[in-house]
Amino acid sequence: MSAGLVLPLWRALGASRRGAAHVRSGLPNQDALLLPDLGSEPPWILALADGHGSPKSFRSDRGALLAVNTAAAVCRRLPCDPAGARLSAIKHWAEDYLSREIVRCWRTAVDEDMAARPLVAAEGAPSGLASPEGGHYLAYGATLLVVMVTATFILYWQLGDGDILTVTDDGVVSRPLPPDEKLFGNETTSLCADRSWQEARTAFQVLAGAPPALILAASDGYANSYRDEAGFLRVGSDLLTLIRTDGLEAVAANLSDWLDEISRQGSGDDVTLGVLCRTTTNPARLGRWG
Amino acid sequence: MPKLPGGELASRPLHFIWIADCSGSMGVDGKIQQLNFAIRDAVPHMQKVAEDNPNAAVLVRAIKFSNGAQWHIAQPTPVAEFKWLDLEAMGVTDMGMALSMLAEQLKIPPMSERALPPVLVLISDGRPTDDFQKGLSALLGEPWGRKAVRLAIAIGEDADYEVLQRFIGHPELKPLQANSPEALVRHIRWVSTAVLKSASAPASQPREGGVSKLNVPIPAPPEPGPDVAEDVW
Repeated sequence: MSAGLVLPLWRALGASRRGAAHVRSGLPNQDALLLPDLGSEPPWILALADGHGSPKSFRSDRGALLAVNTAAAVCRRLPCDPAGARLSAIKHWAEDYLSREIVRCWRTAVDEDMAARPLVAAEGAPSGLASPEGGHYLAYGATLLVVMVTATFILYWQLGDGDILTVTDDGVVSRPLPPDEKLFGNETTSLCADRSWQEARTAFQVLAGAPPALILAASDGYANSYRDEAGFLRVGSDLLTLIRTDGLEAVAANLSDWLDEISRQGSGDDVTLGVLCRTTTNPARLGRWG
Repeated sequence: MPKLPGGELASRPLHFIWIADCSGSMGVDGKIQQLNFAIRDAVPHMQKVAEDNPNAAVLVRAIKFSNGAQWHIAQPTPVAEFKWLDLEAMGVTDMGMALSMLAEQLKIPPMSERALPPVLVLISDGRPTDDFQKGLSALLGEPWGRKAVRLAIAIGEDADYEVLQRFIGHPELKPLQANSPEALVRHIRWVSTAVLKSASAPASQPREGGVSKLNVPIPAPPEPGPDVAEDVW
């Protein structure tokens, strides 16, 4: 997937790059990124998925692609017109319904994909693929991050590893979602696990007061490329500064090269970044991209 | 290219730790000499594996146990600079103390949360003479102790296979039995290369049913060839 630009109110850019270790070993990029169509009516949905890539998850690149498309389709069903639904009802929908529905629809998409593309020996499917452990869903296993933006609220949703960051107008970086202690080492919660919807984390932010100037979603290969957490969080404030000084187009033009270098010097994993930039921020600070 | 956003980039640390039995019985029939030879022989192969996986920073050290336990090579040493120091055999088999000392070093800090799962290789020819369970509990009480790739090599028929299996903690993985110098070299070479390679670039592992399983795929150990040596230990 290549870097892209879309307009207005919010702008979006992103790129997904095959990791340095995947290049060496001949593995494909197993991440997937879906940027919002900001020219359409809200909700605008940024979705990012990271296929597990293990021998048992030999179709996880497809699982990641199905995940981002599923997330977008489910989120578009949200009654996000504030005239038609109270925010409290929408929040309730997000917390009680969204996770179950994303997982259910992803599994349906996997079933359909398996039916359309039966397993072939060349894929090296391990024996016992259809075992009760994870069934054929394990072959497509992936994590998923979703940011849904409307005129009145932002919804953050995550199942598995990866990072969502927000950056204020003043460059303060934070995480909108609570940490998940189960994500340790290379172990992760996953769309493919039984009752995985219970593992999803959700945060709901009403767009009032000081909404974020920047929202970032990244696969875990990005954060794992930094020596420490502080170094990774600095990506948020540095990107805001770069967008304001050099312009969004310049950042978008460099993004793929940056991600390649970050993977090469860092984790070696696939690295994917999706960014939403708010353009209705203080006009004095818009810089070249206002 | 403009300066990259964010702080300092770094490959992920991969700690590889030998846990070696230096009890008196290891001095019988040349076992300790063969262990020294096998590890020294494996070092260049470890270095080659590490060169091929530059996104993992392999750091090697060793702990030994006999009357008590102590770090034999205490500093996590980049594998490119690693040199094996010969062990000597004497005393009893205080394996539990070695695991307790290991647990201290697997705390966060000094370990980093962004590390790759460490590889712990326990090598023994006998039964623990101290409180093994206390040491194992301390080890498994640390997140990196639980997530580590834990492997064991049983030297000779007097090794406590059941204790080594409890250290490994996964029924699908068995202790490697080395009843001859050739088998010991083969097993040491395998953990130093095939396992190290697998641990250097592990794929994400989904938690299945909320249960943590082997989080690094372990390749099949090598089968002994037709010219397998006669058991001597």
